[in-house]
Amino acid sequence: MRENLTRYAYWQFRDFIRERGIALLLVGGLLGFMLIAPMRAMMGGNIDAVNARRVLLLALPEIGPISAFIVFNGLISTDRKMGYYRFLFSKPVAIPAYYAQHFTVYFVGFMTVFAILFGVFAITVRPISPVGALAYWALVYLSLGGIAFFISSLFRYDWPILAAVFLSSVLANAVWAGRGGWRMVVRDMLPPLHKLSPAMTDLINFETVDLTSVAWLLGYSAFFFLAGLVVLWRRPIG
Amino acid sequence: MELVHATPFVIELKNASKIYRSFPGRSVTAVEEFSLQIAEGEVLGIAGPNGAGKSTLLSLLLGYLRPTGGSVLINGMAPRSFVEKNGIGYLSELMTINANWKARDALTRFATLAAVPRADVPGRVNAVMEELGITEHQDKKIKALSKGNLQRLGVAQALLRDEQALILDEPTHGLDPVWTQRFRSIIEGLRKPNRTIIIASHNLDELQRLADRVAIIDRGRLQRLVQTGYDQATDAGGTYRISVVGGAPHVKEMFPTALDTGEGEFELSFSSIIELNAAIAKLIGGGVLVSGVVPARSVLEQQFREAVGETS
Repeated sequence: MRENLTRYAYWQFRDFIRERGIALLLVGGLLGFMLIAPMRAMMGGNIDAVNARRVLLLALPEIGPISAFIVFNGLISTDRKMGYYRFLFSKPVAIPAYYAQHFTVYFVGFMTVFAILFGVFAITVRPISPVGALAYWALVYLSLGGIAFFISSLFRYDWPILAAVFLSSVLANAVWAGRGGWRMVVRDMLPPLHKLSPAMTDLINFETVDLTSVAWLLGYSAFFFLAGLVVLWRRPIG
Repeated sequence: MELVHATPFVIELKNASKIYRSFPGRSVTAVEEFSLQIAEGEVLGIAGPNGAGKSTLLSLLLGYLRPTGGSVLINGMAPRSFVEKNGIGYLSELMTINANWKARDALTRFATLAAVPRADVPGRVNAVMEELGITEHQDKKIKALSKGNLQRLGVAQALLRDEQALILDEPTHGLDPVWTQRFRSIIEGLRKPNRTIIIASHNLDELQRLADRVAIIDRGRLQRLVQTGYDQATDAGGTYRISVVGGAPHVKEMFPTALDTGEGEFELSFSSIIELNAAIAKLIGGGVLVSGVVPARSVLEQQFREAVGETS
C-alpha cells in the first residue's frame, strides 16, 4: 500500500469517530442500559461472573447487529452518492485500496467503541474477561462486513438493500430451518446470521467454538469482500 | 480536425464515446466519436452549451467513467492507471467536499492523498491558501464558506502538488471579477513546457485569453477546434466595433456598409487586419476622431455560435 494512503488512515479514523463512533457509543450505551439495568435490578445489584456473562449473552445479540448496521451504512456508497470521490480519487490513490483501508480502519474503530462500552459494563456491572466478548464483536464486524462492503460497492442506496438482505436471512433461517433443496441453497446464499448466536455463546462461556461455523461466517464474508474489491477495480466509480 | 504537434502527446482521445444506458433500454449518448490529441505544454479550452458532454468528457479523462467506444489514453496509459500512479490536479464543477470538514483540514487531507511529503504538507497548505486568499477562512467549515471562497478552496486543492496534468471544470464559476483576474494570472504562472492544462468553461472570453486551442463540443461531438490568439498566417479579419467621438456622419459616407449601432459606435467587417488598419487610416484622414476599435465578436465567440448552430 502506498505511503500516502497509509498516512490517510488517521483521517479515516477521525471520520469514523465523528460520523459513526459517537452514534455507536450512544446507541450501544442506551441499548445496553435498557437491557442490562432491569436485569441488574432483578439480581439485586450483586452480580457474579456467571450472571454477568448471562447478561452479556442477552445484551450482545441485540446491540451487535444494530451497531454493525450503523457502521456499514454508506461504507462506499456515500462517497459516490455525495460526489466526494471526485476530489478524493483525482489524487494518486487506487480506489480498491482506499476502501480496503477504509474497511480496516472502521474495524479498528468498531473494536475501540466496543472496548469503551465493555469498560463501562465492567465498571457498572462486574469486571469479567473481555476476550470472549471482544472476539464475538470482531466476528460480528468481520462476518457481516463482507456482504455490506459488496452491496455498498454496487448500489448508491445500500442501506435498504442491506436491511432487506439481513431480514431475508433472519426470515429464511426461521421459516426454512432444517429444510433441504432449493430452500437450503437460498438460505446458504444469505448472510449466515444464524451462526452468530451459537458462536457468541461459545465464545463468552469459554467453550469450544464450532470452527466450521466460524469458518463459514468468515469465508462467506471474505468472498463478498473480495467481490466488492473486484467491483471497485472493474467498475468506474462515476 | 487533429493538429500535429512536435512535442510528445500527453492525452489522446480516439473515437471516444460514452453512452449512458438505463433501464428499460433507454440510452443517452453523452460523448460521441471524440478524437483529440492534447500536447505537453498546451492549455486546452473546452467550450460547449449546457449538456454538451463537457463534464462526461472530463470524467473519461479522470477514469471516473470508462468509454463505451474508442479509447482514452494519458501518456499511453488508461486514465485510471495514470491517475493512480501520478495524480491529476482536478477541480470539479460540483464542489463536492464534505460540508463538515474545516477548510484547512480538507486541504491537509488532499495534500496527504496527493502524496505531498509529510513534512511539506503544512507549508504547501499554507502556500496555496495564501495564493488563493483563503488563509483567514482556514478554520471555517466547508458549509460556512461563501461560494467564491469554496471555489477558491477547490482551485487551491488542485494546486497542492506540481502535477503534470491539470483539469479545471468551470474554474471561475462564482469568483468575483478581482479573483477571476487573479485566477488568470495563476493559470499563466502554471504554464510549463511539460504540463498540460485543460479548462472547461462557459466563459469564452476566459478561454480566449487562457487557452492555446479551444475544443467546441456540442451534442457530445467535437464540432470545432479553434486556435486562439491572432494568427498572421490565417488572418481572416472579422467584424469590428469602431467608436468615434467626432465626425460620425463621415463614417457612413466613407463606408456605406457600416452598421450604426448608436452612441457613436459602428460595426464594420474586414477581410484582414491590413484592411482594418487601412480603414482606420482613411477614417482619421477624413476627419473622424476614433476613440476605440474592438472586435465585435471574438473569433472564438463567432466560431462557437457557428458550431452550436446559433446565428444570433
